[in-house]
Amino acid sequence: MAPNGLIPNGTAEAPIEISAVPSIVGINFGNSYASIAVLTKEGIAECIANEDGERQIACAIAFQGEEMYIGNQARHQLVKNSQNTITGFRNLLGKKFSEVPQAALSVSAPVIQHPSLPDTPAYKVKVLQPAPSPLKTTAANTPAASQVATPRSEPIEAERVLTVSEVTTIFLGSLVQSAEDFLGRKVLGAVISLPSWFDDAQREAVIEAAEDAGIHVLQLLDDAGAVAVCTAAGSEEISSDRTQLIVDLGASSLELSLLSVREGLAYSLATISDSSVGGDDIDSKLIKFFAKEFTKKTKTPLTVAPASDPLDKRAEAKLRLAVEHTKRTLSASPGAATCSVESLKDGLDYTGSINRLRFDMEVRSVYDKVYAKVKELVASAGVDLYDVDEIVYIGGCACLPGLDETLAEGFTENVITPFKAGTVAGGGIGDPTTILARGCALQAQLLVGLAGETEEVRQAFIKGNGTSSVSATSRTIGLLVPQVSAEGGLGGVWVPLILKETPLPCRRTVTVEVDVSGSEDRVGFEFWEVSEGVRIEHVKQQKFEDEEDESQDEEEELEEVKEKTISKEAFLASLSLSRSNPSKGKTKVQVQAIISSNGAVDLSIREVTKNGLGEAVTLTVGSS
Amino acid sequence: MATLVTLPSLPPAWSPPSEPASSISPLVQRRLIPAGAAYLAHIKRTLNNHTFDEYDKQLEEERKRLELLNADGLNGEDDLGVGDEEESPELLLLDAKEWKKQDHYQVLGLSHLRYKATPEQIKIAHRKKVLKHHPDKKAGASHTTNDDAFFKCIQKANEVLTNSERRRQFDSVDPICLSLEEDDPSASDFKGREKDTAFFFKTFAPIFEREARFSKKIPVPMLGENDDSKENVHAFYDFWYNFDSWRSFEYLDKEVNEGSDNRDDKRYTEKKNKSERARRKKDDITRLRNLVDLTLGLDPRIKRIKQEEKEAREAKKKTKGGMSAAEQKAKAEEDKRKAEEEAQRKEEEEKVARAEAKKAKTAAANAAKKARRQQRAADTDEAAPS
Repeated sequence: MAPNGLIPNGTAEAPIEISAVPSIVGINFGNSYASIAVLTKEGIAECIANEDGERQIACAIAFQGEEMYIGNQARHQLVKNSQNTITGFRNLLGKKFSEVPQAALSVSAPVIQHPSLPDTPAYKVKVLQPAPSPLKTTAANTPAASQVATPRSEPIEAERVLTVSEVTTIFLGSLVQSAEDFLGRKVLGAVISLPSWFDDAQREAVIEAAEDAGIHVLQLLDDAGAVAVCTAAGSEEISSDRTQLIVDLGASSLELSLLSVREGLAYSLATISDSSVGGDDIDSKLIKFFAKEFTKKTKTPLTVAPASDPLDKRAEAKLRLAVEHTKRTLSASPGAATCSVESLKDGLDYTGSINRLRFDMEVRSVYDKVYAKVKELVASAGVDLYDVDEIVYIGGCACLPGLDETLAEGFTENVITPFKAGTVAGGGIGDPTTILARGCALQAQLLVGLAGETEEVRQAFIKGNGTSSVSATSRTIGLLVPQVSAEGGLGGVWVPLILKETPLPCRRTVTVEVDVSGSEDRVGFEFWEVSEGVRIEHVKQQKFEDEEDESQDEEEELEEVKEKTISKEAFLASLSLSRSNPSKGKTKVQVQAIISSNGAVDLSIREVTKNGLGEAVTLTVGSS
Repeated sequence: MATLVTLPSLPPAWSPPSEPASSISPLVQRRLIPAGAAYLAHIKRTLNNHTFDEYDKQLEEERKRLELLNADGLNGEDDLGVGDEEESPELLLLDAKEWKKQDHYQVLGLSHLRYKATPEQIKIAHRKKVLKHHPDKKAGASHTTNDDAFFKCIQKANEVLTNSERRRQFDSVDPICLSLEEDDPSASDFKGREKDTAFFFKTFAPIFEREARFSKKIPVPMLGENDDSKENVHAFYDFWYNFDSWRSFEYLDKEVNEGSDNRDDKRYTEKKNKSERARRKKDDITRLRNLVDLTLGLDPRIKRIKQEEKEAREAKKKTKGGMSAAEQKAKAEEDKRKAEEEAQRKEEEEKVARAEAKKAKTAAANAAKKARRQQRAADTDEAAPS
């Protein structure tokens, strides 16, 4: 019944306007491209397109006449209006003019010293100011009598100086505007992803620029963090405890991180960033290939990457825009991808095609560089390629299957890559182009939900806070059932419980089935600490009979064969329990291990029976 | 772990290795990436010094709390507490042609709200039902031709309930409420329970709450509590004796036979309907009046107020100088006499006034007649003096 009974015929209580989905936005702010993601009604993060239908929004702003172009439209201005087009501004944020390398050849507006602010990088662009308003009008709306000449009614040419921060403000503002147009609501807050090498001054500058654009920054998240959020959930094939390699092949740089992901908790084991390898190199290789083709076809000389002649420069800019499409086609299908440019040089059109095989050959050197870097990274973390369980790709160039094929050679056969899992295309979970933005959106959702939490909890998400440092295990702990006839170094069947590099405190529960063949009614395990390694053996390459003729004169090559090894390190404890139903057959046993933050291990086993869990047998291994 | 590992049992001659290690290998220091739900859980555990079991318990409590909230429909998210009502098999067999007989609220799955359902809730409920029962959804599932029968019922129910006038007509004769009305208590139910105040309030409060919806005037005073003030109680009965109801009974009209061209036939049905409506309305007013009468008769507050008034009167008398009964009687007699005298005097005065008026009238008449006589000299007729 209604509280006061005054509802005669269904009075409309005002509908409660609480949406379950907070209006937040995740921004992946790269140096060359950005992307934005929002939460859908279903609560899933989804990368959205801007007004131009682009999910990969170029970080570029161009001024032409009275117009200002942002995003991919601005990139097209690089052909004819490169002096008024600003690109690559993110990496300059928070830097002094004296820190900016001047040597770099720029295809866009040059970075200059700000005329009034000391040691500040800025851009100078030519714009048209709108025409000054006509003569003052009186109340009757007729121009007042004036002695001066009628002012010009055309826009006036002017120069505009923009600091890097202002450029960023304009750009981020346009991103959030796109998100707001999509959501139809004001955006409450944003999480912006940045590379891990950004220092405090740069982070400060990003926040400042965002606040100027009216964006409430909830957190600046490292790229690796965004990936961890996105992939933390795991799935059927991927165990929630794994070592994850993140390969971020962006347009301007390569960044690699090795993460230890343990039930969603992630920390970085090693990172490497290298600005000498990037998607632009792939572009350069590709346009060189097409320029050569063009010269072959039309007998018109064309030298690109680097180009010296102004005509060549323009042709290069045109080609760079065109190969974007070619690259996307190549990532999508192994067939021939075309590249067409109208009036490439001297009024001659060009249409050429390249298939994936040829393309992979052309950019092999880039792939190899990436592979070399990956090896370097893994070595610096003190592990082996075989210890990596999952590879995650970020960036448009990482969509190329050739890269995955090159990298996969070095890893175990069951390493999970987004290509293997089939989650690359169509905005799937592993889509390299959107993964960062989606991770940011999910993190923003989490942070918005913190409103009811204590100040301490909220502080924990701010970078550099002490709460993020933890102790972690250095060796894997597991259970062993000794077998007399077992092969391998352990002498039994081994089930890992807590992997090494697991942050503490931690708890792992494993349910195993025990095949009780004997007549005894006791079920027991030994708990061991083990060290893992990789054994490398050089074996002779196996040759097939029919190949023998061709390879006869070749030297016999040794092939590296790797194998994961486990060796016993220390015996921790043993536990056993008697079965409730002493009959032959199988029984289920739940094994639980809890390691507290000081290193004390609580082990317990209990039988899983039809009516719940049996009595637990527990044991504690002392603290260190 | 998703897959269950099958392990062999221990060898019979197994004995645990001796000398277990005192602790695990030394720990290493790492810095977590502050991101993700797992990190939040980790932080909460660390800051509150919770063990895993404590944290699990807390999560479970939180989950239960949220569940409760959702069960209340207080989350208000999208369905405003409409919920999902399962249709009974009989309901699904309804015929849309007989729509007047169907319970529209039940068809839309709103039987827990009935007349309290807001237009928003009706809209939501309708959408839910349409999603479930749209013929397009059922295409291919079964090949019976009668597939959209219930969908038509839903549409009809929505048609009735979204039109405020038609909804009122339906609400007036809502089958469930009608059956409730039949169960209303009568005087016999209270035989021997006159002193049971709690029973009185428990019985009548919901009845008045139910009846209140028909009021044109808002707010409607409710039965209230046992210790309500005299004013409130009087206001309550005042309101309910002058209850202005919008209840009407068009919904029960007999269909005019549209097919027949017979105007008389039509008019006859209309007339009959009209009188039937009036009769029902009258019955309803009588019913309500009887109900209020019954309430008034049984109301412990009225008895209390009367008692109080009586006591107050007596107290007043006592305080008024303690007049004896004889004096009071004498005074009353005197009053009476005075009143009588007054009345007599008034009567006499009136008599005099009447006589005078008569006299004046007669004089006027005589004068007129005299004038006429003079005019007509030959007049021999003798006029009566009255």
